[in-house]
Amino acid sequence: MNILNILIDTVSSPGSTSDYLPIAIQLIFAAGFVATMIALSHWIGPKRNTSDKLENFTSGIETHGDARQPMAIKYFLVAILFVLFDVEVIFFYPYAVNFKELGWSGFFEIILFVAFFLIGFIYIIKSGALKWED
Amino acid sequence: MNAIILSAIWAVIMMLGSFMVKRKGNFRHIAAFGLLVLFVANIADTYGYSLFNFNNHGFLQFTRFGYLFNSIAIFSSLIYVLITGKEISRYGNHTAEYFALIFFVMCGVSMLAFYNNLLTLFLGIEIMTIPLYILTGSDKRNMKSNEAALKYFLMGSFSTGIMLMGIVFSYGGTGTFSLDVSRAGIPNLYNHVASFLEIVGLLLLLVSLAFKVSAAPFHFWTPDVYDGAPSVFTSFMATIVKAAGFIAFIKLCLVRMTATSAAIDWKMIFAIIIIATLLVGNITAVFQQSVKRMLAYSSIAQAGFMLFSLFSVNDFAKEGILLYSAAYSLATIGIFAVLVKMKDYTFEGYNGLAKKQPLLAATNTVFLLSLAGIPLTAGFFAKYYMLAAVVKTGSYLWLVIVAVLFAAVSVYYYFRVIQAMYFKDGNAETEAITPSFKAGLLLVAALIILIGVYPGIILNWLYF
Repeated sequence: MNILNILIDTVSSPGSTSDYLPIAIQLIFAAGFVATMIALSHWIGPKRNTSDKLENFTSGIETHGDARQPMAIKYFLVAILFVLFDVEVIFFYPYAVNFKELGWSGFFEIILFVAFFLIGFIYIIKSGALKWED
Repeated sequence: MNAIILSAIWAVIMMLGSFMVKRKGNFRHIAAFGLLVLFVANIADTYGYSLFNFNNHGFLQFTRFGYLFNSIAIFSSLIYVLITGKEISRYGNHTAEYFALIFFVMCGVSMLAFYNNLLTLFLGIEIMTIPLYILTGSDKRNMKSNEAALKYFLMGSFSTGIMLMGIVFSYGGTGTFSLDVSRAGIPNLYNHVASFLEIVGLLLLLVSLAFKVSAAPFHFWTPDVYDGAPSVFTSFMATIVKAAGFIAFIKLCLVRMTATSAAIDWKMIFAIIIIATLLVGNITAVFQQSVKRMLAYSSIAQAGFMLFSLFSVNDFAKEGILLYSAAYSLATIGIFAVLVKMKDYTFEGYNGLAKKQPLLAATNTVFLLSLAGIPLTAGFFAKYYMLAAVVKTGSYLWLVIVAVLFAAVSVYYYFRVIQAMYFKDGNAETEAITPSFKAGLLLVAALIILIGVYPGIILNWLYF
Protein backbone atom coordinates (compact mmCIF):
# COMPACT_ATOMS: atom_id res chain seq x y z
CA MET A 1 0.00 0.00 0.00
CA ASN A 2 1.31 3.37 -0.96
CA ILE A 3 1.33 5.89 1.86
CA LEU A 4 1.10 8.79 -0.59
CA ASN A 5 -2.05 7.31 -2.08
CA ILE A 6 -3.69 7.20 1.28
CA LEU A 7 -2.87 10.80 1.97
CA ILE A 8 -4.31 11.87 -1.38
CA ASP A 9 -7.38 9.75 -0.72
CA THR A 10 -8.01 11.24 2.66
CA VAL A 11 -7.36 14.88 1.88
CA SER A 12 -10.02 14.96 -0.81
CA SER A 13 -13.00 13.74 1.19
CA PRO A 14 -14.55 14.97 4.46
CA GLY A 15 -15.17 12.94 7.59
CA SER A 16 -11.85 11.14 7.41
CA THR A 17 -8.35 11.09 8.78
CA SER A 18 -7.72 14.60 7.44
CA ASP A 19 -10.06 15.87 10.16
CA TYR A 20 -7.41 14.88 12.64
CA LEU A 21 -4.83 17.16 11.02
CA PRO A 22 -5.50 20.07 13.44
CA ILE A 23 -4.96 17.68 16.34
CA ALA A 24 -1.65 16.59 14.85
CA ILE A 25 -0.62 20.22 14.42
CA GLN A 26 -1.63 20.92 18.00
CA LEU A 27 0.39 17.96 19.23
CA ILE A 28 3.46 19.08 17.31
CA PHE A 29 2.98 22.62 18.60
CA ALA A 30 2.60 21.46 22.21
CA ALA A 31 5.69 19.27 22.10
CA GLY A 32 7.66 21.90 20.21
CA PHE A 33 6.68 24.67 22.63
CA VAL A 34 7.81 22.68 25.65
CA ALA A 35 11.06 21.67 24.00
CA THR A 36 11.81 25.23 22.90
CA MET A 37 11.11 26.66 26.34
CA ILE A 38 13.33 24.14 28.10
CA ALA A 39 16.11 24.64 25.59
CA LEU A 40 15.82 28.45 25.77
CA SER A 41 15.92 28.58 29.56
CA HIS A 42 18.89 26.26 29.49
CA TRP A 43 20.83 28.43 27.06
CA ILE A 44 19.79 31.93 28.09
CA GLY A 45 19.20 31.55 31.81
CA PRO A 46 21.98 32.44 34.25
CA LYS A 47 23.90 29.64 35.90
CA ARG A 48 25.03 30.02 39.48
CA ASN A 49 25.72 26.65 40.99
CA THR A 50 26.02 26.46 44.74
CA SER A 51 26.41 23.36 46.85
CA ASP A 52 22.88 23.79 48.26
CA LYS A 53 21.38 23.90 44.81
CA LEU A 54 23.09 20.76 43.66
CA GLU A 55 21.74 18.73 46.55
CA ASN A 56 18.74 16.42 46.15
CA PHE A 57 15.46 18.02 47.17
CA THR A 58 13.97 16.15 50.11
CA SER A 59 11.24 18.53 51.29
CA GLY A 60 13.66 20.67 53.24
CA ILE A 61 15.15 17.94 55.40
CA GLU A 62 18.87 17.40 55.13
CA THR A 63 19.71 14.26 53.20
CA HIS A 64 21.36 11.48 55.12
CA GLY A 65 22.43 7.98 54.18
CA ASP A 66 21.67 5.82 51.17
CA ALA A 67 18.17 4.98 49.98
CA ARG A 68 19.24 1.50 48.91
CA GLN A 69 18.93 -0.31 52.19
CA PRO A 70 17.71 -3.86 52.57
CA MET A 71 14.11 -3.88 53.69
CA ALA A 72 11.86 -6.69 54.88
CA ILE A 73 9.96 -8.33 52.01
CA LYS A 74 6.78 -8.01 54.11
CA TYR A 75 6.59 -4.31 53.29
CA PHE A 76 6.52 -5.00 49.59
CA LEU A 77 4.02 -7.81 49.93
CA VAL A 78 1.61 -5.74 51.98
CA ALA A 79 2.09 -2.69 49.75
CA ILE A 80 1.49 -4.70 46.57
CA LEU A 81 -1.58 -6.41 48.02
CA PHE A 82 -2.92 -3.04 49.11
CA VAL A 83 -2.46 -1.59 45.65
CA LEU A 84 -4.07 -4.69 44.12
CA PHE A 85 -7.22 -4.41 46.23
CA ASP A 86 -7.26 -0.66 45.87
CA VAL A 87 -7.27 -0.94 42.10
CA GLU A 88 -10.08 -3.51 42.19
CA VAL A 89 -12.30 -0.87 43.83
CA ILE A 90 -12.13 1.12 40.59
CA PHE A 91 -14.33 -1.54 39.00
CA PHE A 92 -17.11 -0.60 41.37
CA TYR A 93 -17.34 2.93 40.01
CA PRO A 94 -18.88 2.02 36.63
CA TYR A 95 -21.40 -0.10 38.51
CA ALA A 96 -22.18 2.68 40.97
CA VAL A 97 -22.77 5.12 38.12
CA ASN A 98 -25.12 2.73 36.31
CA PHE A 99 -26.69 1.34 39.45
CA LYS A 100 -30.33 1.93 38.47
CA GLU A 101 -30.05 0.99 34.80
CA LEU A 102 -28.38 -2.37 35.45
CA GLY A 103 -31.08 -3.50 37.87
CA TRP A 104 -31.04 -6.91 39.48
CA SER A 105 -28.88 -8.64 36.84
CA GLY A 106 -26.18 -6.06 37.42
CA PHE A 107 -26.51 -6.60 41.14
CA PHE A 108 -25.94 -10.35 40.80
CA GLU A 109 -22.94 -9.75 38.58
CA ILE A 110 -21.36 -7.43 41.10
CA ILE A 111 -22.10 -10.01 43.82
CA LEU A 112 -20.23 -12.57 41.71
CA PHE A 113 -17.35 -10.14 41.35
CA VAL A 114 -17.22 -9.53 45.10
CA ALA A 115 -17.35 -13.28 45.70
CA PHE A 116 -14.29 -13.86 43.54
CA PHE A 117 -12.69 -10.94 45.29
CA LEU A 118 -13.36 -12.50 48.68
CA ILE A 119 -11.94 -15.86 47.61
CA GLY A 120 -8.73 -14.06 46.71
CA PHE A 121 -8.74 -12.35 50.10
CA ILE A 122 -9.33 -15.63 51.94
CA TYR A 123 -6.50 -17.17 49.96
CA ILE A 124 -4.14 -14.36 50.93
CA ILE A 125 -5.00 -14.62 54.61
CA LYS A 126 -4.84 -18.41 54.68
CA SER A 127 -1.52 -18.59 52.88
CA GLY A 128 -0.12 -16.26 55.52
CA ALA A 129 0.83 -13.32 53.32
CA LEU A 130 -0.45 -10.80 55.86
CA LYS A 131 1.18 -12.41 58.88
CA TRP A 132 3.55 -9.81 60.21
CA GLU A 133 5.57 -11.94 62.62
CA ASP A 134 7.11 -15.17 61.44
CA MET B 1 -18.90 -22.24 27.70
CA ASN B 2 -18.41 -25.26 29.96
CA ALA B 3 -14.65 -25.22 29.53
CA ILE B 4 -14.22 -21.50 30.18
CA ILE B 5 -16.21 -21.48 33.42
CA LEU B 6 -15.18 -24.88 34.76
CA SER B 7 -11.48 -24.20 34.25
CA ALA B 8 -11.77 -20.96 36.22
CA ILE B 9 -13.72 -22.73 38.97
CA TRP B 10 -11.17 -25.53 39.12
CA ALA B 11 -8.37 -22.99 39.35
CA VAL B 12 -10.08 -21.51 42.40
CA ILE B 13 -10.50 -25.00 43.83
CA MET B 14 -6.78 -25.66 43.42
CA MET B 15 -6.02 -22.30 45.00
CA LEU B 16 -8.15 -23.04 48.05
CA GLY B 17 -6.78 -26.58 48.08
CA SER B 18 -3.29 -25.20 48.67
CA PHE B 19 -4.12 -24.76 52.37
CA MET B 20 -6.93 -27.29 52.75
CA VAL B 21 -5.19 -30.36 51.30
CA LYS B 22 -2.30 -31.41 53.47
CA ARG B 23 -0.55 -33.99 51.30
CA LYS B 24 1.47 -32.36 48.54
CA GLY B 25 1.34 -35.44 46.34
CA ASN B 26 -2.43 -35.20 46.00
CA PHE B 27 -2.42 -31.97 44.04
CA ARG B 28 -1.51 -33.54 40.74
CA HIS B 29 -4.27 -36.11 41.12
CA ILE B 30 -6.78 -33.33 41.77
CA ALA B 31 -5.45 -31.45 38.75
CA ALA B 32 -5.59 -34.52 36.51
CA PHE B 33 -9.14 -35.20 37.64
CA GLY B 34 -10.04 -31.57 36.96
CA LEU B 35 -8.67 -31.78 33.44
CA LEU B 36 -10.61 -34.98 32.88
CA VAL B 37 -13.79 -33.21 34.02
CA LEU B 38 -12.93 -30.34 31.72
CA PHE B 39 -12.39 -32.70 28.80
CA VAL B 40 -15.71 -34.49 29.30
CA ALA B 41 -17.54 -31.19 29.83
CA ASN B 42 -16.08 -29.78 26.65
CA ILE B 43 -17.10 -32.81 24.60
CA ALA B 44 -20.58 -32.65 26.13
CA ASP B 45 -20.68 -28.98 25.17
CA THR B 46 -19.76 -29.90 21.59
CA TYR B 47 -22.94 -31.94 21.33
CA GLY B 48 -25.16 -29.34 22.92
CA TYR B 49 -25.09 -30.26 26.60
CA SER B 50 -24.10 -26.92 28.03
CA LEU B 51 -24.16 -26.41 31.77
CA PHE B 52 -24.16 -22.65 31.58
CA ASN B 53 -26.48 -20.89 29.22
CA PHE B 54 -26.56 -17.15 29.09
CA ASN B 55 -26.50 -14.46 26.49
CA ASN B 56 -22.93 -13.47 25.78
CA HIS B 57 -23.95 -10.65 23.39
CA GLY B 58 -21.85 -11.98 20.52
CA PHE B 59 -18.61 -11.80 22.45
CA LEU B 60 -18.04 -15.52 22.05
CA GLN B 61 -18.88 -17.74 19.13
CA PHE B 62 -19.08 -21.47 19.65
CA THR B 63 -17.98 -23.31 16.53
CA ARG B 64 -17.04 -26.90 15.89
CA PHE B 65 -13.52 -25.78 15.10
CA GLY B 66 -13.17 -24.08 18.48
CA TYR B 67 -14.61 -27.05 20.35
CA LEU B 68 -12.32 -29.52 18.64
CA PHE B 69 -9.26 -27.41 19.30
CA ASN B 70 -10.29 -26.99 22.90
CA SER B 71 -10.66 -30.76 23.28
CA ILE B 72 -7.19 -31.25 21.80
CA ALA B 73 -5.69 -28.62 24.12
CA ILE B 74 -7.35 -30.05 27.22
CA PHE B 75 -6.39 -33.59 26.28
CA SER B 76 -2.77 -32.54 25.69
CA SER B 77 -2.61 -30.83 29.07
CA LEU B 78 -4.16 -33.89 30.69
CA ILE B 79 -1.37 -35.99 29.23
CA TYR B 80 1.12 -33.32 30.26
CA VAL B 81 -0.06 -33.41 33.88
CA LEU B 82 -0.13 -37.21 33.92
CA ILE B 83 3.43 -37.59 32.63
CA THR B 84 5.24 -34.61 34.13
CA GLY B 85 2.95 -33.71 37.03
CA LYS B 86 5.42 -35.08 39.52
CA GLU B 87 8.16 -32.72 38.33
CA ILE B 88 6.00 -29.68 38.97
CA SER B 89 6.21 -30.24 42.71
CA ARG B 90 10.00 -30.01 42.52
CA TYR B 91 10.03 -26.22 42.33
CA GLY B 92 9.36 -24.58 45.66
CA ASN B 93 6.44 -25.45 47.90
CA HIS B 94 3.63 -23.87 45.92
CA THR B 95 2.60 -26.92 43.94
CA ALA B 96 -1.14 -26.27 44.21
CA GLU B 97 -0.67 -22.72 42.99
CA TYR B 98 1.23 -23.90 39.93
CA PHE B 99 -1.66 -26.17 39.02
CA ALA B 100 -4.10 -23.32 39.69
CA LEU B 101 -2.12 -21.15 37.29
CA ILE B 102 -2.21 -23.92 34.69
CA PHE B 103 -6.00 -23.99 35.02
CA PHE B 104 -6.13 -20.23 34.58
CA VAL B 105 -4.08 -20.66 31.42
CA MET B 106 -6.61 -23.24 30.25
CA CYS B 107 -9.35 -20.67 30.85
CA GLY B 108 -7.52 -18.26 28.56
CA VAL B 109 -6.96 -20.99 25.98
CA SER B 110 -10.69 -21.81 25.94
CA MET B 111 -11.50 -18.15 25.54
CA LEU B 112 -9.16 -17.88 22.56
CA ALA B 113 -10.82 -20.89 20.96
CA PHE B 114 -14.22 -19.20 21.08
CA TYR B 115 -13.58 -15.47 20.87
CA ASN B 116 -15.58 -13.41 18.42
CA ASN B 117 -14.64 -9.96 19.54
CA LEU B 118 -11.35 -8.12 19.80
CA LEU B 119 -12.02 -7.46 23.49
CA THR B 120 -12.39 -11.15 24.26
CA LEU B 121 -9.26 -11.77 22.19
CA PHE B 122 -7.40 -9.36 24.44
CA LEU B 123 -8.89 -10.90 27.58
CA GLY B 124 -8.02 -14.41 26.43
CA ILE B 125 -4.44 -13.51 25.58
CA GLU B 126 -3.98 -11.78 28.93
CA ILE B 127 -5.58 -14.56 30.99
CA MET B 128 -3.33 -16.98 29.15
CA THR B 129 -0.02 -15.12 29.45
CA ILE B 130 -0.10 -13.54 32.92
CA PRO B 131 0.00 -16.93 34.73
CA LEU B 132 2.84 -17.89 32.40
CA TYR B 133 4.98 -14.98 33.60
CA ILE B 134 4.67 -16.41 37.10
CA LEU B 135 5.30 -20.01 36.03
CA THR B 136 8.43 -18.89 34.15
CA GLY B 137 9.89 -17.42 37.33
CA SER B 138 8.68 -20.19 39.63
CA ASP B 139 12.19 -21.48 40.26
CA LYS B 140 12.86 -18.54 42.57
CA ARG B 141 16.41 -19.45 43.64
CA ASN B 142 17.62 -19.77 40.07
CA MET B 143 18.92 -16.55 38.50
CA LYS B 144 18.20 -17.76 34.98
CA SER B 145 14.57 -18.40 35.83
CA ASN B 146 14.27 -14.93 37.32
CA GLU B 147 15.87 -13.35 34.29
CA ALA B 148 13.57 -15.26 31.95
CA ALA B 149 10.49 -14.20 33.89
CA LEU B 150 11.45 -10.54 33.88
CA LYS B 151 12.33 -10.64 30.18
CA TYR B 152 9.10 -12.41 29.31
CA PHE B 153 7.05 -10.05 31.43
CA LEU B 154 8.55 -6.85 30.00
CA MET B 155 8.45 -7.98 26.38
CA GLY B 156 5.05 -9.57 26.80
CA SER B 157 3.45 -6.49 28.29
CA PHE B 158 5.00 -4.38 25.58
CA SER B 159 3.47 -6.56 22.90
CA THR B 160 0.15 -6.39 24.77
CA GLY B 161 0.40 -2.63 24.48
CA ILE B 162 0.89 -2.97 20.74
CA MET B 163 -2.12 -5.29 20.59
CA LEU B 164 -4.31 -2.76 22.42
CA MET B 165 -3.14 -0.05 20.05
CA GLY B 166 -4.09 -2.29 17.13
CA ILE B 167 -7.53 -2.94 18.62
CA VAL B 168 -8.09 0.79 19.07
CA PHE B 169 -7.04 1.58 15.50
CA SER B 170 -9.26 -1.19 14.22
CA TYR B 171 -12.13 0.23 16.25
CA GLY B 172 -11.46 3.63 14.75
CA GLY B 173 -11.60 2.17 11.26
CA THR B 174 -14.72 0.04 11.65
CA GLY B 175 -16.68 1.43 14.58
CA THR B 176 -16.94 -1.96 16.28
CA PHE B 177 -14.90 -4.38 18.36
CA SER B 178 -16.68 -7.36 16.85
CA LEU B 179 -14.83 -9.57 14.40
CA ASP B 180 -17.69 -9.44 11.90
CA VAL B 181 -17.81 -6.00 10.38
CA SER B 182 -20.27 -4.56 7.93
CA ARG B 183 -18.19 -2.06 6.08
CA ALA B 184 -21.10 -0.42 4.30
CA GLY B 185 -21.42 3.23 5.23
CA ILE B 186 -17.85 3.66 6.44
CA PRO B 187 -16.53 6.70 4.60
CA ASN B 188 -13.36 6.78 2.57
CA LEU B 189 -12.43 3.14 2.17
CA TYR B 190 -9.10 2.32 0.65
CA ASN B 191 -9.70 0.37 -2.58
CA HIS B 192 -13.39 0.32 -1.49
CA VAL B 193 -12.52 -2.43 1.00
CA ALA B 194 -11.18 -1.19 4.28
CA SER B 195 -10.30 2.06 5.93
CA PHE B 196 -6.70 3.00 6.44
CA LEU B 197 -7.09 2.95 10.23
CA GLU B 198 -8.39 -0.62 10.20
CA ILE B 199 -5.43 -1.81 8.17
CA VAL B 200 -2.99 -0.11 10.53
CA GLY B 201 -4.83 -1.77 13.42
CA LEU B 202 -4.67 -5.19 11.80
CA LEU B 203 -0.96 -4.76 11.13
CA LEU B 204 -0.36 -3.95 14.80
CA LEU B 205 -2.47 -6.95 15.83
CA LEU B 206 -0.41 -9.08 13.47
CA VAL B 207 2.79 -7.87 15.13
CA SER B 208 1.59 -8.60 18.65
CA LEU B 209 0.14 -12.01 17.81
CA ALA B 210 3.29 -12.90 15.89
CA PHE B 211 5.12 -12.06 19.10
CA LYS B 212 2.90 -14.38 21.13
CA VAL B 213 3.47 -17.31 18.75
CA SER B 214 7.18 -16.36 18.47
CA ALA B 215 7.39 -15.83 14.74
CA ALA B 216 10.49 -14.09 13.43
CA PRO B 217 11.34 -11.18 13.60
CA PHE B 218 9.48 -11.10 16.92
CA HIS B 219 11.03 -14.28 18.31
CA PHE B 220 13.94 -12.89 20.32
CA TRP B 221 12.36 -13.56 23.70
CA THR B 222 11.73 -17.24 22.96
CA PRO B 223 15.14 -18.92 23.38
CA ASP B 224 15.98 -17.10 26.62
CA VAL B 225 12.57 -17.61 28.17
CA TYR B 226 12.25 -21.25 27.13
CA ASP B 227 15.79 -21.91 28.29
CA GLY B 228 15.47 -20.10 31.61
CA ALA B 229 12.04 -21.35 32.65
CA PRO B 230 11.84 -24.64 34.56
CA SER B 231 11.70 -27.41 31.93
CA VAL B 232 8.25 -28.63 32.95
CA PHE B 233 6.75 -25.22 32.33
CA THR B 234 8.70 -24.73 29.12
CA SER B 235 6.99 -27.87 27.91
CA PHE B 236 3.60 -26.34 28.67
CA MET B 237 4.46 -22.98 27.12
CA ALA B 238 5.90 -24.44 23.95
CA THR B 239 2.93 -26.68 23.24
CA ILE B 240 -0.58 -25.85 24.41
CA VAL B 241 -0.06 -22.13 24.79
CA LYS B 242 1.62 -21.75 21.44
CA ALA B 243 -1.11 -23.74 19.69
CA ALA B 244 -3.75 -21.54 21.33
CA GLY B 245 -1.94 -18.48 20.03
CA PHE B 246 -2.20 -19.91 16.55
CA ILE B 247 -5.91 -20.68 16.94
CA ALA B 248 -6.51 -17.06 17.93
CA PHE B 249 -4.38 -15.89 15.04
CA ILE B 250 -6.08 -18.05 12.40
CA LYS B 251 -9.52 -16.87 13.47
CA LEU B 252 -8.45 -13.26 13.04
CA CYS B 253 -7.02 -14.14 9.63
CA LEU B 254 -10.11 -16.07 8.55
CA VAL B 255 -12.41 -13.14 9.26
CA ARG B 256 -10.59 -9.84 9.16
CA MET B 257 -7.60 -10.45 6.93
CA THR B 258 -9.62 -12.29 4.30
CA ALA B 259 -12.07 -9.40 4.18
CA THR B 260 -9.34 -6.80 3.69
CA SER B 261 -7.12 -8.80 1.35
CA ALA B 262 -7.99 -6.55 -1.58
CA ALA B 263 -6.52 -3.54 0.19
CA ILE B 264 -3.28 -5.06 1.41
CA ASP B 265 -1.31 -8.09 0.31
CA TRP B 266 -1.44 -10.19 3.48
CA LYS B 267 -0.07 -13.21 1.63
CA MET B 268 3.16 -11.38 0.91
CA ILE B 269 3.51 -10.26 4.53
CA PHE B 270 2.94 -13.79 5.80
CA ALA B 271 5.32 -15.21 3.19
CA ILE B 272 8.08 -12.93 4.51
CA ILE B 273 7.33 -13.86 8.12
CA ILE B 274 7.29 -17.57 7.26
CA ILE B 275 10.63 -17.46 5.44
CA ALA B 276 12.23 -15.45 8.24
CA THR B 277 10.85 -17.77 10.92
CA LEU B 278 11.94 -20.95 9.15
CA LEU B 279 15.38 -19.48 8.48
CA VAL B 280 16.03 -18.24 12.01
CA GLY B 281 14.53 -21.25 13.75
CA ASN B 282 16.19 -23.96 11.72
CA ILE B 283 19.60 -22.44 11.10
CA THR B 284 20.10 -21.35 14.72
CA ALA B 285 18.89 -24.68 16.08
CA VAL B 286 21.69 -26.40 14.16
CA PHE B 287 24.35 -24.63 16.24
CA GLN B 288 22.93 -25.29 19.69
CA GLN B 289 24.82 -27.36 22.25
CA SER B 290 21.99 -27.77 24.74
CA VAL B 291 19.00 -29.90 23.82
CA LYS B 292 16.67 -27.59 25.72
CA ARG B 293 17.83 -24.56 23.78
CA MET B 294 17.69 -26.56 20.56
CA LEU B 295 14.05 -27.35 21.35
CA ALA B 296 13.38 -23.64 21.90
CA TYR B 297 14.66 -22.86 18.41
CA SER B 298 12.90 -25.89 17.01
CA SER B 299 9.66 -24.52 18.44
CA ILE B 300 10.30 -21.35 16.43
CA ALA B 301 10.89 -23.48 13.34
CA GLN B 302 7.67 -25.43 13.98
CA ALA B 303 5.85 -22.12 14.38
CA GLY B 304 7.08 -21.32 10.88
CA PHE B 305 5.22 -24.36 9.60
CA MET B 306 2.08 -23.52 11.56
CA LEU B 307 2.18 -20.05 9.99
CA PHE B 308 1.35 -21.68 6.67
CA SER B 309 -2.21 -22.07 7.88
CA LEU B 310 -2.43 -18.28 8.29
CA PHE B 311 -0.95 -17.81 4.85
CA SER B 312 -3.47 -20.03 3.07
CA VAL B 313 -6.67 -19.44 4.99
CA ASN B 314 -8.84 -22.25 3.60
CA ASP B 315 -10.54 -25.39 4.92
CA PHE B 316 -7.40 -27.41 4.43
CA ALA B 317 -5.49 -24.96 6.60
CA LYS B 318 -8.13 -25.17 9.33
CA GLU B 319 -7.90 -28.95 9.40
CA GLY B 320 -4.13 -28.73 9.16
CA ILE B 321 -3.68 -26.43 12.15
CA LEU B 322 -5.77 -28.74 14.33
CA LEU B 323 -3.73 -31.74 13.26
CA TYR B 324 -0.51 -29.80 13.65
CA SER B 325 -1.32 -28.59 17.14
CA ALA B 326 -2.18 -32.15 18.21
CA ALA B 327 0.93 -33.69 16.62
CA TYR B 328 3.30 -30.97 17.75
CA SER B 329 1.91 -30.77 21.29
CA LEU B 330 2.07 -34.52 21.89
CA ALA B 331 5.58 -34.90 20.49
CA THR B 332 6.98 -31.90 22.34
CA ILE B 333 5.38 -32.89 25.64
CA GLY B 334 7.01 -36.30 25.22
CA ILE B 335 10.45 -34.90 24.42
CA PHE B 336 10.33 -32.53 27.36
CA ALA B 337 9.14 -35.32 29.65
CA VAL B 338 12.32 -37.22 28.78
CA LEU B 339 14.41 -34.04 29.01
CA VAL B 340 13.31 -33.27 32.58
CA LYS B 341 14.49 -36.71 33.62
CA MET B 342 17.98 -36.11 32.22
CA LYS B 343 20.73 -34.91 34.53
CA ASP B 344 22.64 -33.16 31.74
CA TYR B 345 20.74 -31.10 29.13
CA THR B 346 23.53 -31.03 26.52
CA PHE B 347 23.71 -33.37 23.56
CA GLU B 348 26.53 -35.22 25.33
CA GLY B 349 24.14 -35.88 28.20
CA TYR B 350 22.12 -38.12 25.89
CA ASN B 351 25.12 -40.24 24.90
CA GLY B 352 24.37 -43.91 25.37
CA LEU B 353 20.82 -43.48 26.63
CA ALA B 354 19.66 -46.39 24.47
CA LYS B 355 21.74 -48.84 26.48
CA LYS B 356 20.69 -47.57 29.89
CA GLN B 357 17.04 -46.77 29.24
CA PRO B 358 16.00 -48.47 25.99
CA LEU B 359 12.34 -47.53 26.31
CA LEU B 360 13.06 -43.85 26.95
CA ALA B 361 15.35 -43.75 23.94
CA ALA B 362 12.87 -45.54 21.69
CA THR B 363 9.90 -43.33 22.56
CA ASN B 364 12.08 -40.23 22.37
CA THR B 365 13.05 -41.33 18.86
CA VAL B 366 9.38 -41.54 17.89
CA PHE B 367 8.79 -38.01 19.19
CA LEU B 368 11.81 -36.62 17.36
CA LEU B 369 10.81 -38.37 14.13
CA SER B 370 7.35 -36.85 14.48
CA LEU B 371 8.78 -33.35 14.88
CA ALA B 372 11.00 -33.90 11.86
CA GLY B 373 7.96 -35.01 9.85
CA ILE B 374 8.91 -38.56 8.94
CA PRO B 375 6.00 -40.62 7.50
CA LEU B 376 4.00 -42.93 9.80
CA THR B 377 4.23 -40.34 12.55
CA ALA B 378 1.71 -37.59 13.24
CA GLY B 379 4.19 -34.89 12.24
CA PHE B 380 4.23 -36.06 8.64
CA PHE B 381 0.52 -35.51 8.02
CA ALA B 382 0.62 -32.26 9.95
CA LYS B 383 3.30 -30.88 7.65
CA TYR B 384 1.59 -32.45 4.64
CA TYR B 385 -1.69 -30.65 5.37
CA MET B 386 0.11 -27.34 5.84
CA LEU B 387 1.93 -27.56 2.53
CA ALA B 388 -1.10 -28.96 0.69
CA ALA B 389 -3.11 -25.96 1.86
CA VAL B 390 -0.57 -23.66 0.22
CA VAL B 391 -0.63 -25.70 -2.99
CA LYS B 392 -4.42 -25.42 -3.03
CA THR B 393 -4.28 -21.64 -3.06
CA GLY B 394 -2.46 -21.97 -6.38
CA SER B 395 0.17 -19.30 -5.85
CA TYR B 396 3.48 -18.99 -4.00
CA LEU B 397 4.58 -22.51 -4.89
CA TRP B 398 8.20 -21.54 -4.24
CA LEU B 399 7.25 -21.15 -0.60
CA VAL B 400 6.46 -24.86 -0.43
CA ILE B 401 9.85 -25.73 -1.89
CA VAL B 402 11.63 -23.51 0.64
CA ALA B 403 9.65 -25.10 3.45
CA VAL B 404 10.58 -28.61 2.36
CA LEU B 405 14.25 -27.60 2.22
CA PHE B 406 14.07 -26.25 5.76
CA ALA B 407 12.30 -29.39 6.91
CA ALA B 408 15.32 -31.27 5.60
CA VAL B 409 17.59 -28.99 7.63
CA SER B 410 15.52 -29.72 10.72
CA VAL B 411 16.14 -33.43 10.29
CA TYR B 412 19.82 -32.76 11.01
CA TYR B 413 19.40 -31.42 14.52
CA TYR B 414 16.61 -33.80 15.50
CA PHE B 415 18.71 -36.76 14.37
CA ARG B 416 21.69 -35.48 16.34
CA VAL B 417 19.79 -36.43 19.49
CA ILE B 418 18.95 -39.86 18.09
CA GLN B 419 22.58 -40.32 17.07
CA ALA B 420 23.73 -39.40 20.57
CA MET B 421 21.29 -41.85 22.12
CA TYR B 422 22.05 -44.83 19.91
CA PHE B 423 25.45 -44.51 18.28
CA LYS B 424 27.60 -42.77 20.85
CA ASP B 425 29.15 -44.31 23.91
CA GLY B 426 28.52 -42.59 27.14
CA ASN B 427 26.90 -42.78 30.48
CA ALA B 428 23.60 -40.95 30.19
CA GLU B 429 22.48 -40.18 33.71
CA THR B 430 18.79 -40.02 34.44
CA GLU B 431 16.73 -39.63 37.53
CA ALA B 432 14.70 -42.52 38.85
CA ILE B 433 12.24 -43.71 36.18
CA THR B 434 8.95 -45.15 37.41
CA PRO B 435 6.96 -47.76 35.46
CA SER B 436 3.97 -45.40 35.24
CA PHE B 437 6.19 -42.78 33.59
CA LYS B 438 7.27 -45.36 31.03
CA ALA B 439 3.65 -46.31 30.42
CA GLY B 440 2.79 -42.65 29.85
CA LEU B 441 5.57 -42.25 27.31
CA LEU B 442 4.43 -45.41 25.52
CA LEU B 443 0.88 -44.06 25.38
CA VAL B 444 2.02 -40.77 23.82
CA ALA B 445 4.21 -42.59 21.30
CA ALA B 446 1.31 -44.89 20.41
CA LEU B 447 -0.98 -41.91 19.94
CA ILE B 448 1.55 -40.24 17.65
CA ILE B 449 1.84 -43.32 15.48
CA LEU B 450 -1.93 -43.79 15.51
CA ILE B 451 -2.51 -40.23 14.29
CA GLY B 452 0.28 -40.72 11.78
CA VAL B 453 -1.45 -43.73 10.27
CA TYR B 454 -5.04 -42.49 10.56
CA PRO B 455 -5.08 -38.68 10.66
CA GLY B 456 -8.84 -38.93 10.17
CA ILE B 457 -9.42 -39.92 13.77
CA ILE B 458 -8.88 -36.31 14.77
CA LEU B 459 -10.24 -34.52 11.75
CA ASN B 460 -13.47 -36.49 11.53
CA TRP B 461 -14.61 -34.90 14.78
CA LEU B 462 -14.80 -31.63 12.90
CA TYR B 463 -17.78 -32.88 10.90
CA PHE B 464 -19.91 -35.14 13.06
